[in-house]
Amino acid sequence: MGVIQSVIFGLQLGSYIAIAAVGFTLIYGVVNFINFAYGEYMTIGAFMTFITVNQWGLPAIVGLFIALVVTAGLGWIVSRIVFVPMQGTGAIPMLMASIGLGMFLRNFYQLIAGGEVRFVDIGASQFEFDVLGGFFISTQHILIIASAFIIFALIHVLLTRTQAGIAMRATSQNELLARASGIRTKQVRRNVWIVASALAGVSGFLIGTTTFVSPLTGFNQILLVLAAAILGGAGSAYGAFIGAYIIAFVITFTTAYLPTEISGLGETLAFLVLIIVLLVRPSGLADVEVEA
Amino acid sequence: MSAETPSVEGRQDRLLWIAGLVLVLLGLAVMMSGIAPGLSGPILIVIEVGIFFLLYALLVLPVNVQFGVSGLVNFGPVLWFGIGGYATAMLASTGSYQGQTFGLPWPFAVLVGVVLAVLVGLLLGVTTLQLRGDFLAVVTLASAEIFYGIVEKVGGFGGATGIGGVPRIFEAGSFPMTDVAVTFILAGIVVFVYALAQRITFSPYGRVLKAIRSDEDATEALGKPTFRYKILVFVYGAIIMGLAGSLLALYNGAVSPGFITLDVTVLVWIGMLIGGAGSNRGAVFGLAIVMGLQLFTRFANDAFPVSQSEFAALRLMIVGLLLVVIIRFRPSGIWGNPEEREVL
Repeated sequence: MGVIQSVIFGLQLGSYIAIAAVGFTLIYGVVNFINFAYGEYMTIGAFMTFITVNQWGLPAIVGLFIALVVTAGLGWIVSRIVFVPMQGTGAIPMLMASIGLGMFLRNFYQLIAGGEVRFVDIGASQFEFDVLGGFFISTQHILIIASAFIIFALIHVLLTRTQAGIAMRATSQNELLARASGIRTKQVRRNVWIVASALAGVSGFLIGTTTFVSPLTGFNQILLVLAAAILGGAGSAYGAFIGAYIIAFVITFTTAYLPTEISGLGETLAFLVLIIVLLVRPSGLADVEVEA
Repeated sequence: MSAETPSVEGRQDRLLWIAGLVLVLLGLAVMMSGIAPGLSGPILIVIEVGIFFLLYALLVLPVNVQFGVSGLVNFGPVLWFGIGGYATAMLASTGSYQGQTFGLPWPFAVLVGVVLAVLVGLLLGVTTLQLRGDFLAVVTLASAEIFYGIVEKVGGFGGATGIGGVPRIFEAGSFPMTDVAVTFILAGIVVFVYALAQRITFSPYGRVLKAIRSDEDATEALGKPTFRYKILVFVYGAIIMGLAGSLLALYNGAVSPGFITLDVTVLVWIGMLIGGAGSNRGAVFGLAIVMGLQLFTRFANDAFPVSQSEFAALRLMIVGLLLVVIIRFRPSGIWGNPEEREVL
């Protein structure tokens, strides 16, 4: 397989991890805990792929927007019920509650949708090239990679050019100071829940188009998302993006180039990278200040 | 603390040691006697779930001393469980369908398994115990995933099939009696470990651990070498959890990646949190509740008009919901002491 092909696969994997990692890291920064149930938010998006594309026969782009809206809504409702009343109890209790919530939601999906795996075909067309060792790229790859870059641009604009985004960054850096400056941190947290849930929906939708849709679709990715977010520097949206692509490239290149006995170790190596980064630079790639 | 005065503790300690010894001896007696009464199906199911409850109890007790008492978020108990299990299995196995085996005597294999677990505990402890709590969770979780990835994917570890051909040292005259003997022996070991955990929790050493949980800087300022205390907690935990893995291999005659999934970690943590982190009794009882639900579903399924997988999903939903509700409304758990849960 040519290098270009590996790069395309890496960009594809990195893109949907990146979208989710940004949402994950926003929650980490503003609401201040590791949300293990985030994968279950992504699963909602994945099911929306199946519903909109397979059952309703809508084009993928339209489905993507529906997934975004539906997941934003449902994610916010779930968070409102579970996490908002817990605000202030600390990082560890909320982390534990998210484990329980994840378990509840996963099995709830299992109960209503059954355990079977559903495949979605968005009718992508494929373009093959014979240059540079030969590679192919499909409209699906383009959809995923373009979505990630558009979202990156939107998040950048949100965080730097809007009141709501600047308030998010302020709250993420120092909540007390933000409140003292008149920022309504409660509303900021609500905004973060909605944005993060929407991102989970988009990421889940894109995963649904590439791999498959099942009650475990999001759960299967949560460790990679977490690794990307922490690698990038917990709380930093930019770091999460870079972290996601690093992890994705580690995975695709080990799968493509290492001898077959160890080529399945891509995810394992990604976690190794995460641990090494945490040890030599606990603040992550983006050098986020970490309270001890 | 609370109601237990030192003298009562001492007596309770002795009682526990005797109870443990009696249980182990009972187990050995069942093994040697060769009696083979017919046991009905339901009892066998109870025993099977019971054995895993006891193995996981050997994980929940150290995790409770690490998290509940000392505030260290070890999110990878299954890592040490796996190291102990795989090291013992590979060294002791006399021939596995897949994977590298050495056919060495089993006590040596257990020893190496525990030593390896301790070394990994030391390595992880020295490198990561200075990180903040939730990062420690991430590193231990990632380490467990790395170990899982290696044994599943790298040749020599037996892949998805795992390592078989491990000597079953608890073999009794007949199949059901083996399980009965194992239940007694494991119960005895759990009682020993419980006594140890209680010792640690209520000793001066344990008070320093609780102080570290409450405020590490203040403890350090009082002249306690907190880092060394934390490392020791990791090492003690590694010994017990590694041993639990060894016992799994020697009871089951095989280990495979299926025994060391993330689910085990989650189960252990949920059990501890439901029962009450910080209380050794609470942690074990909480685990019993979660495993009891598992048992209940096995039997109750017939009475409900749903399929087995639907019923399992329903049970896990209940467990998840229970965890959320308990964290929300009674963060100290059912048997925990609310006054002790001031920080975390």
